Amino acid sequence: MGTRIITLCYRKIIDARSQKEWEKLVFEDTWKEFKMQSQLFNQENRYTTFSQLLLHVPASEKLHFLVSAAAVNYIKQLNNKIPDIVNNIGKIFLSFSKFYFEIINSDLQHKSVHSVAINFYSDPLRWHETIGDYLLLSADADGIEGQTSLYKIQPFVNIHSLQKEQNDGAIKR
Amino acid sequence: MERKLFLRQGFAALGISFIAPLANSCKKNDVTTDTTTDGSETGTGSGSDTCTVAPTETEGPFPTKNPSAYERSDITDGRSGYKLTVNITVGQVSKNCAALAGAIVDIWHCDAEGNYSEYGGTQMQSTNYTSVHFLRGRQTTDNNGLVTFTTIFPGWYQGRATHIHVHIYNASGTSLKVTQIAFPEGSGSALLAVNGYSKGMSGYTYNASDNIFSDDKDGVEMSTVTGDKTNGFSLAIQLNVP
Repeated sequence: MGTRIITLCYRKIIDARSQKEWEKLVFEDTWKEFKMQSQLFNQENRYTTFSQLLLHVPASEKLHFLVSAAAVNYIKQLNNKIPDIVNNIGKIFLSFSKFYFEIINSDLQHKSVHSVAINFYSDPLRWHETIGDYLLLSADADGIEGQTSLYKIQPFVNIHSLQKEQNDGAIKR
Repeated sequence: MERKLFLRQGFAALGISFIAPLANSCKKNDVTTDTTTDGSETGTGSGSDTCTVAPTETEGPFPTKNPSAYERSDITDGRSGYKLTVNITVGQVSKNCAALAGAIVDIWHCDAEGNYSEYGGTQMQSTNYTSVHFLRGRQTTDNNGLVTFTTIFPGWYQGRATHIHVHIYNASGTSLKVTQIAFPEGSGSALLAVNGYSKGMSGYTYNASDNIFSDDKDGVEMSTVTGDKTNGFSLAIQLNVP
């Protein structure tokens, strides 16, 4: 088996139960932005929830993108490091430059219902071996061997993409 | 979990509820803990709890309150095109069109090719976060009711005349008006000078045929545009809210 190049996706859920300061700021500001931006699709104030809007005003699908602006400056504060996800020695080890923000649920009248997800897509990783439950990964996918990390896939983390490196070094999707 | 919250969240809550008990039961028999020796909080946020080691790193970076990415005057974000300064004055009809201070003004428009910043068509398509909201901005009116943006002259796309979208809110974020700004298009106009960038003007929808602007007989959506391609253009309009 040739070495495989993968990217991981961590889907971080932020809702009324989120405890960390960063999460609370994202929660508060995305709800505020949802209230502002949703008026564009709800000019007669007919609907109160995101699901009603999606059902009756298909264009409100754009709210995922429009509301993401309230989260972007907080995402920048992470300095390209995917939060929460650590290797087997407890260190944050995944870097990212791509994300996808989504509104899971929201309600103009009940903030407690507001719930969003930020999907962090890791930069490419080289998957060298599988040792027990752990993947042996290194960050540098460009061929130079970097430091490796042992990592156990956990809930809300997915292998988002996979490429196989053939014997001649070429990458095959 | 509060019953009300659970019921309102439906399936989203259900998914998390299934995982949480499993994760907790696992933790009881595991040497890993949720608390680091320095007492810092290491909970991994909703949904990411699992039977793996907890983060053991210095806490940080510390988050600070940050405005929405829309809140900037220069909304160009590296998009190429002729410079355009947009000056919007907000008036209040109920006060004889006197300037409205403290109003929040959002604008957005397409780039030189006619494309908006938005997610691609595919769900879950990832985007680099650095300039994802290009050509979208938010400013608050000053005592003269004025906001100013620096941007590029918009391009055009099939079926529409060149335009800029505007959404005006009061200071607390309640919508006051959603409208669009039209561009003069006669001889000597900036629109003809820009000439649709690389697209040219073949197939262009002029204001009289535009679905939005064709009924604007009084020209309340029509802006004044001065300047040239070398020094940039300047747009001015007064928009009145109820």
